[in-house]
Amino acid sequence: MITINGILGEGGGQILRTSLSLSLCTGQPFRIENIKAGRQKPGLMRQHLTAVLAAAEVGGADVEGAVLGSQALTFRPGKVRAGEYKFVIGTAGSGTLVFQTVLPALMMAEGASHIVVEGGTHNEAAPPYDFLVRSFLPLLARMGPKVAAAFERYGFYPAGGGRFAASIAPALRLMQLHLGERGEITHRRVRAVVANLPYHIAQREVKTAAGRLNWGEDSFKAESTRESNGPGNVVMVEVGSAEVTEIFTAFGKMQVSAEAVADMAAREAREYLASKAVAAEHLTDQLLLPMALAGGGSFTALKLNPHARTNMEVIREFLPVEFTTEDQGDYQLVQVQERQAR
Amino acid sequence: MRSVVLGLLGTTLDVGKSADRWQSWRPTVSVCRQPDLIVHRFELLHDRRSASLAAVVQRDIQTVSPETEVRLHQIEFQDPWDFGQVYETLFAFAKNYPFDEAEDYLVHITTGTHVAQICLFLLTEARWLPARLLQCSPDRDRSAPGKISIIDLDLSRYDGIASRFQQEQREAASFLKGGIETRNPAFNKLIDRIEQVAIATRDPLLLMGPTGAGKSRLAKRIFDLKKARHAVKGDFVDVNCATLRGDGAMSTLFGHTKGAFTGALKDRPGLLRTADNGVLFLDEIGELGLDEQAMLLRALEDKTFLPMGSDRASHSDFQLIAGTNRDLLSAVREGRFREDLLARINLWTFTLPGLSARPEDIEPNLQFELDQYARRTGRQITFSKEARKKFLDFAVSAAAAWKGNFRDLNAAVSRMATLSLGGRIGVETVQEEIDRLLASWGEPTAVDPLADVLPQDQLAELDPFDRAQLTKVIEVCRRSRSLSEASRLLFEKSRARKTSTNDADRLKKYLARFGLAWERFQRA
Repeated sequence: MITINGILGEGGGQILRTSLSLSLCTGQPFRIENIKAGRQKPGLMRQHLTAVLAAAEVGGADVEGAVLGSQALTFRPGKVRAGEYKFVIGTAGSGTLVFQTVLPALMMAEGASHIVVEGGTHNEAAPPYDFLVRSFLPLLARMGPKVAAAFERYGFYPAGGGRFAASIAPALRLMQLHLGERGEITHRRVRAVVANLPYHIAQREVKTAAGRLNWGEDSFKAESTRESNGPGNVVMVEVGSAEVTEIFTAFGKMQVSAEAVADMAAREAREYLASKAVAAEHLTDQLLLPMALAGGGSFTALKLNPHARTNMEVIREFLPVEFTTEDQGDYQLVQVQERQAR
Repeated sequence: MRSVVLGLLGTTLDVGKSADRWQSWRPTVSVCRQPDLIVHRFELLHDRRSASLAAVVQRDIQTVSPETEVRLHQIEFQDPWDFGQVYETLFAFAKNYPFDEAEDYLVHITTGTHVAQICLFLLTEARWLPARLLQCSPDRDRSAPGKISIIDLDLSRYDGIASRFQQEQREAASFLKGGIETRNPAFNKLIDRIEQVAIATRDPLLLMGPTGAGKSRLAKRIFDLKKARHAVKGDFVDVNCATLRGDGAMSTLFGHTKGAFTGALKDRPGLLRTADNGVLFLDEIGELGLDEQAMLLRALEDKTFLPMGSDRASHSDFQLIAGTNRDLLSAVREGRFREDLLARINLWTFTLPGLSARPEDIEPNLQFELDQYARRTGRQITFSKEARKKFLDFAVSAAAAWKGNFRDLNAAVSRMATLSLGGRIGVETVQEEIDRLLASWGEPTAVDPLADVLPQDQLAELDPFDRAQLTKVIEVCRRSRSLSEASRLLFEKSRARKTSTNDADRLKKYLARFGLAWERFQRA
């Protein structure tokens, strides 16, 4: 059985979710040990458990050790069942993370699926809903699976209670995707959303972010919503090109000014704009798994963080692929290839 | 296991109905947001006025923790700061709650008045709420779930406290043993039990055991231990009942008023009164007269008694430790001890074994006696290696009867120490002491009643079977005035059944088998 070491690199949760996704896709059981060993709170935390239970439901899996604080988990998938699912997740587990955990299996399943997710939609340490829909899913569509998502309510930290739905038209085999340099910028947008907070916060944020980027007023979009349980604020800087749309996000926080929040998102966007890479940090992380499932692919990445490196290691445990990275000056060329039998 | 939290709605901390409530830390909601705890059910207690707040909290918990079922219970405190009222209400809730072994209960004490927190603590401590306590505290970021800590009131579950606890217990046991590292397992177990009981109870304790087994010493140490643990306020008062006789007994124990009898020149409070709030040790309680027993029983039951010559009852609340080397049950049968008093003092009975039953403990006690001697006299005494071995070999041998138990050992050490030259006890001193001890116990060979009846060679040929029988027969013969009296005693049963006709002849013939004649046993 595939055995994963839970203290491997950074991001215990990411390791677990990647393992769950690939176990479902490949039918291979796995065991993960030393979950978050050495941390202040070792073992399985609640948000991990949520992902495990969702994956088990989709894949009819047999799970051992799926309890809070468990330091080892064995997951034996059955047959992935396409169909209707509803996952209700508390604030502790972001809805988008759970969605991403089960998506790979359902996008390659025999039959369409419809998923409703309730919980967090825009949380730190998780891809926001907008990133999924505008950045990730269009690239996935080019590999075959078509996922149409519909947004209903915002779920900000800590109140949660957001809601979105996704219809998945699967592809049994994925096409390989090769993304070279980014090319011309085709659209720019700064979007700020406030929920149950004063509108001027969003207005100050779009103005500040656009100012930092020297973008004109036509790129502003300040929104206020009441469709949210609690208060929340997010700034999303969107950069579109022929190949890809990238989104840079920052969240409003108590004691942090609107300007400072906008600045954070703008700074990441500027760094991206200064290079010719297609994928910034987070998209890089997201692309590895589908490209590996397709048996190959390549893209240019702004940088590779330890998260991505760890992810590569986990993927190699499940799939006969190898990753090569080449420093091309202001970006890295990441290539996924079938592993040659030795 | 399913986790169930029981808690009061915080009418200050849990408050908030507008969206910005999410920016403040609300304990009840935050308990359900912990990354390492899933609350499967929350039993939320609130009063009528807070019903709408309770509904908001219920809804919020269900959003952030879909796994949690929130059950609302309306309870009424007229005054949430009134201890009696709050306790009664919470007690009623606890009594009626259907606790299930399969669920893990946590009592949330962060919310509610301090009075409610105290009541919840008391109910948990008394196991009316079979739960652990749950505390939570906010982070600097008030929108974060903050931290929780779970407090188990079962102190033995905390390694640190448990080892501290054991340490205390060991110290207490060692205290009761006077710092002597005793090795006899039965004795050590007995001491552990006494330690447990002594600290916990004010009921009478009964110490049984042969003379010199250390009853008085133990009684004093029990008192000292209780004193050190603040379990007793008064003094230690002890008296040997064998020294109390007649009117003096009554007055010594229960006191008298001036003029109660000739010589009662002024009021005397008596030992019971002196022992108020303390410990009264009555050694040899079996020697107490029946009148005194009756008065003592009343003092134990009502905490009151009548001093001699007084018509006003005196009051004293003391703990009784009674010592006895007699079988009180047979004293009751013989009418010398009140059955009701025995029943009253026979609640916690501990039998101290004699020294010969604790051969492992002789060595540590020997060292203890040497140290005591040194402390008393300022002379440091040691044994030579061979002398020590010789003494210990003897001390644990069958020949050492230790009839006076620790008193004998103490005396032996004192004598040897006094006689030692240059502070060193040698083999000769030990041999001398062994002879002295044997003589004081009556040397086993000299005690053999057959030795001066039969010649040595004949005695050596005798089977143990005959030896036992003959010993008994001779013993009866010696204390009988005539042959017929002796035979009547010896053949009492068959005589009663009339199966024996001539008992005297039968005895005569038996003695003749060993070449003995009746006349030999006549004292005259």
